[in-house]
Amino acid sequence: MTKRLTLEEQNKSNTKAMVNNPIVYLQAGVIVIFAVMPFIFPSFRLMDVMAKIMIFTIVVASFDLLLGYTGILSFAHGMFFGIGAYCVALILYHTSAPAWYHIIFAIIVSLVISIGLSLVISFFSLRVKAIFFAMLTLALAEFAHILGIQWTSLTGGEDGISFVLPSIFNFNQSLGTLFNTRINGRLIVYYLILVCTILLFAGLLRFIRSPLGRVLKSIRENEPRAVALGYKTFGYQIYSIVFSSCVASLGGILFSMWLCYVNPDSVFHTAIMVNILLMVLIGGMGTLYGSMIGSAFLIITENWLPGLLKSIASLAPENIIVRNMADRWQLYFGILFVLVVIFFPKGVIGTIRSILDRKQQMK
Amino acid sequence: MSQAPVIETRDLTICFGGHIAVNSLNLKVEPFCLKSIIGPNGAGKTTLFNLISGQYAPTAGQVLFNGKDITKMGVAKRTNLGIGRSFQLTNIFPSLTVLENVRLALQAKENIGMVFWKHYKDYPELEEKAYELLKQVLLHDKYLSRANLLTHGEQRKLEIAILLALDPEVLLLDEPTAGMSLEDVPAILELIREIKSLKNRTILLVEHKFDMIMALSDSIAVLKEGRIICDDTPDAVSNNEKVLEAYLGGGVKNE
Repeated sequence: MTKRLTLEEQNKSNTKAMVNNPIVYLQAGVIVIFAVMPFIFPSFRLMDVMAKIMIFTIVVASFDLLLGYTGILSFAHGMFFGIGAYCVALILYHTSAPAWYHIIFAIIVSLVISIGLSLVISFFSLRVKAIFFAMLTLALAEFAHILGIQWTSLTGGEDGISFVLPSIFNFNQSLGTLFNTRINGRLIVYYLILVCTILLFAGLLRFIRSPLGRVLKSIRENEPRAVALGYKTFGYQIYSIVFSSCVASLGGILFSMWLCYVNPDSVFHTAIMVNILLMVLIGGMGTLYGSMIGSAFLIITENWLPGLLKSIASLAPENIIVRNMADRWQLYFGILFVLVVIFFPKGVIGTIRSILDRKQQMK
Repeated sequence: MSQAPVIETRDLTICFGGHIAVNSLNLKVEPFCLKSIIGPNGAGKTTLFNLISGQYAPTAGQVLFNGKDITKMGVAKRTNLGIGRSFQLTNIFPSLTVLENVRLALQAKENIGMVFWKHYKDYPELEEKAYELLKQVLLHDKYLSRANLLTHGEQRKLEIAILLALDPEVLLLDEPTAGMSLEDVPAILELIREIKSLKNRTILLVEHKFDMIMALSDSIAVLKEGRIICDDTPDAVSNNEKVLEAYLGGGVKNE
């Protein structure tokens, strides 16, 4: 009967519970898996998928901060991702001898641009409500996309830009071998992504559990009441937009560094934004951890579903219907998505949480 | 009558379309007293509250708080100034815990809402204080349950705890006992009486329970069709002919 405990007793038992909390072990387990995978299965394909899962975890989590915790639907979130990606790409491409501090410089530039733009967006559009705000941000995102295509002298247009990372991040540089795995720039970037993901995710967790995060939650729950408590909601929403935009652009920097290539379609396209939205919905809005599930689900199916279907189709090579059906992998992805929505109406994490919640209440 | 009023309205008017809900209303509330506002349904009691706490902007007229014109001020600012409000229709954060509901109000008062680098548990004193407030309204046993799982009466109590957490100079209580089970009412009455006896807050109360108002109030304002038809001591009001005619409908004293 936890309910009868007084506050003091509860706080004591909370400290004890921290040690036995399965979530803590789960987190540590996930980190360890991501850390040792390149050594256990040294396959580029797998590493690529894992790096993308990590990057999108951050981007999706920051979007969740906006959508799930603040209740703002902004389609410009993908744009900030693109801004980060382009900042690092452009700066490294246009400097003759890129060094590590150019990356720092790119981070600063992208943060400044993100802060400025997100302030503009929030001042512009929080005045108008939900659907109009969504449309406005969509228009802005599309504008960025077009800018990326049309401004060829700067961005290289649709061809995009490929660049080389400086110093130890350089992919061609080998630093010896460890456990039969070659330590090269790509591996170092992988670990950079891992460390950044952990730090940014921890930052987001702290953000939602801070007094500010609690206010955001209260605004989402019942805005008039939050105002009547003396919270000026506008200011809090600006904080949230700025913070999440910055995290998204940092995610973009990592994305760009991982691929060493960016083009308008890979970062600014509306499809990216839709993917991010899908990931949040699959994982569960307002859960933050859902972003891991969502991005893992989407990226894994995107990468392996076509191959899986092809190998199924190869069992019956003469059958044209089977072959055609195997080619339409997006159809199955759509079915999978519908199934997830049916069986996890609040997203995977959200539904699991509410089931656990109900069990708790039954006690 | 010598002291300057805490809340004052001057020719306060609000129209919804063609309907004049509050009609050039002049009300003065002296500090540290309990003033009740009564009137038949649709007399404009809750509308008046909404005008004082800032949910509505008046069509004409002014609202003054301690002599300062606050007519143009937003809800949040008025709350920060010291006008706390409870709502007739329960207005809480449904899926947060009871403790969190109160803690958020305390946090607003402490003005640490912009802090994003610290964990909210880094302020244990807020939780302790919230717990103490819940004790006052006899809800401390349920501080961990979600607010929407409380009974209606308990939610009303929570609403009062939230209001107390704001530590306002003026409390606007909009039917605090509405929909509460009978055995819960005395505790709330006792609480209101206690707040009143401390003599450091002004209370504006809208209620329908006539005997309760008679026992508690220092003065009563009677509203009808958006106007004050009588503003006097409880005894004088209950003997006022206009009031009896308009509101009590001939001797129905207890609802």
